[in-house]
This record gives sequence, C-alpha cells and structure tokens, in this order.
Amino acid sequence: MLYDLRRADASIKWLVTCLLATFGLSYLFGAVMVSLYAGFTPQRVAATYAGPAMSMPMPPDSTMIVEHPMSMADFARPETHAVDTNLLIQDTHVHVPMYGVIAAALSLVVVGLSLERAWALGLITLLFAAPWLDFAGMWLTKFVSPQCAIVTLIGGWAMGAGYAIVAALAVKQMWFSPERS
Amino acid sequence: MKLLILAPLAAALHITPVVVLVKRPDAVQALLPGADAYFAREVHLSQTDAHRLHQEVDWSPEDGVLTLYTGKTGSTVVGALEFVRVDTPHGPIEVAVGFTPQGMVRGVIVTKATVETKPWVLEAVAAGLANQYRELQPGAVPHGAAAIASRAGNLAQYVAAEVDKGVARALAAYGTFYRGAKT
Repeated sequence: MLYDLRRADASIKWLVTCLLATFGLSYLFGAVMVSLYAGFTPQRVAATYAGPAMSMPMPPDSTMIVEHPMSMADFARPETHAVDTNLLIQDTHVHVPMYGVIAAALSLVVVGLSLERAWALGLITLLFAAPWLDFAGMWLTKFVSPQCAIVTLIGGWAMGAGYAIVAALAVKQMWFSPERS
Repeated sequence: MKLLILAPLAAALHITPVVVLVKRPDAVQALLPGADAYFAREVHLSQTDAHRLHQEVDWSPEDGVLTLYTGKTGSTVVGALEFVRVDTPHGPIEVAVGFTPQGMVRGVIVTKATVETKPWVLEAVAAGLANQYRELQPGAVPHGAAAIASRAGNLAQYVAAEVDKGVARALAAYGTFYRGAKT
C-alpha cells in the first residue's frame, strides 16, 4: 500500500502527531466541561437529558395556577443543567457533523497504519459508531427511558477508547517501529 | 491523572457551556427590591393556552409550565419576576424580567449566557440594552436591538434581538397569565 505512515516523511508524521495531540487536548478539556456541567454517572446523564419531561403529565383541560411560598435559598439552589428537545436538536445539528469530521480524520490515520484489514475496518467502525451511540443514547434517554443514559456513556467511552487506540498505534508505528524497507 | 481517566468520557455529553452572568438571588433582589417574602406562581397551561402563547410569541415554556415569582414586603406586593430562557444557535441565554405592581417592566437582567455569547451580551448591556425595556407594558414590542444599533457591534445586536425575544415572552406571559389571573 502506498499510504503507510511508518514510511511517511517526517513532516507527515509530525502532522499526524500534532493532529492527535490536538484531539487529545480537546478531549481532556471536554472531560473538564462534562464534570462542570453534568456528570459521569448514568443518573446525572439521565437528569441532564431526560429531565422532568419523562414524568410530564398531560396538559390540563383548563389552565391551572398553583402558588407556593419560596425562600431566597430556593432561588440559590443549584439547577440541574437540563438539555430539552430544542437544545438537543441544536446540539445534534452542531456536534454530529463535527464528530463525523473527527472520525474521518482518525480513520485516515487508521488507513495509514499497518493493520490487518479486519482490525482496520473494526477501528473505523468504532470511530463512527461511538458518536452514533452517544447521540442515540441522548435521544433514547429523552424519549424512551432514563435508563438509556448508559448508551450515551458507552458511546463516550467508545469514542475515548477509539481515540486512545488510534493515537497509541499511530505514535508507536510512526516513531517507535523500525521503518519498512 | 483523574482527567486522563475521565477523558474518554468527554465525548459522552455535549453541553453548551452556560455561564452565569448574574446569580438568580442577586437578580431577584435587584428586580424585586425590598421584598422579604417570595411566592412562586406555577401556571400549568392548557393545550389551548399553550397554543395561544406559542402563536403570540413563538414560545412554549418547558413542560408547559410558566413560573412567575411575586415579591412582597409584608402584605404589599413589590412586583413580579420571570426567568425566561431563549435558545439560540449559540446556546441558551436566560433573561430575568421584573415587573412593577403597576404592570410595567421594572428591569431586565441577562442572567445566563454561554461561553460564546457572553462577550456579545456584555457588549449589548454596556451599550445600554437593559435601559430600553424599562416601563414597557404587556402588548408592547421590545426594540432593544434596534435601539443599541449605533452603539454596538453586529454580534451584540444579534444577541440583543434574542433578549428582545425573551422580554416579549415575559410580557406575553405576565400580561396573560399573571395580571388577569386569579389563584
């Protein structure tokens, strides 16, 4: 195969290394952002995406008004960051194409690695399936069951695992393997 | 090390990072000055009323429930307050709209923005956006974005138009479901 990262020019190897480092950096800060605005457990993911919509009653026949006292502490109570349907539509629209581009970029790295075809196909599938699972989990959590939050977590782990495997293999083959003659 | 462990999960959630510009208790104190007792009025909208509100201001409150807050000093009503979220392509913003007992807008505070929209909001506010809404009454159309056009950049005007939407929604909700309603 003509495209082989082990035999590539050092400038190409450096480009791929920088790309992987950039993705790694963004994943790290993504983790910080997740810890700030949601959480890493199925319960917190469910609270973010399912929200009260899961228990939403049917609208009343006529508008009802209920009034109750509040304290200032109630206003100060931390809110669960909720992603409602409109925001999830927006997030899906914005993020899915970007994840497609990231998966494609990592897949191009995979194509340049010395791997058996089955492994390469499996890795490429993993890279694209992870964001599909990720967003499928969010929609399922919202409209099917809060228990589907686990699908989102699996998608996230799969995305991280896919990146880690590609990065480790690429760095090893580009910089630490003897070049093929 | 913890970050390295958590990194794979970074992709698990896609959250538009919200930035708190003004904490809710601070907004409450500013928009319901002197109040020492607060009441939450939850309006559970019927399908008909929800549809009417949607047609009027292109908005459906989350779960079909509007929440308006009343502030009192003793038995005297100080005013009412509503927090309205506006979803934009750049993430949500939250606008707090306070009303006087006479039913006019006392003040408007943008309480939340996103990492992306925060500088636009700050520029719009510095250009005097909040002043444009004072004394508006239900039925009025907010024109904050147009009013600051000569003093703010395009993005500040853009986000001001989103604040206009929030104020319009608050005016519609207050006028229809607070002033005329009985508990």
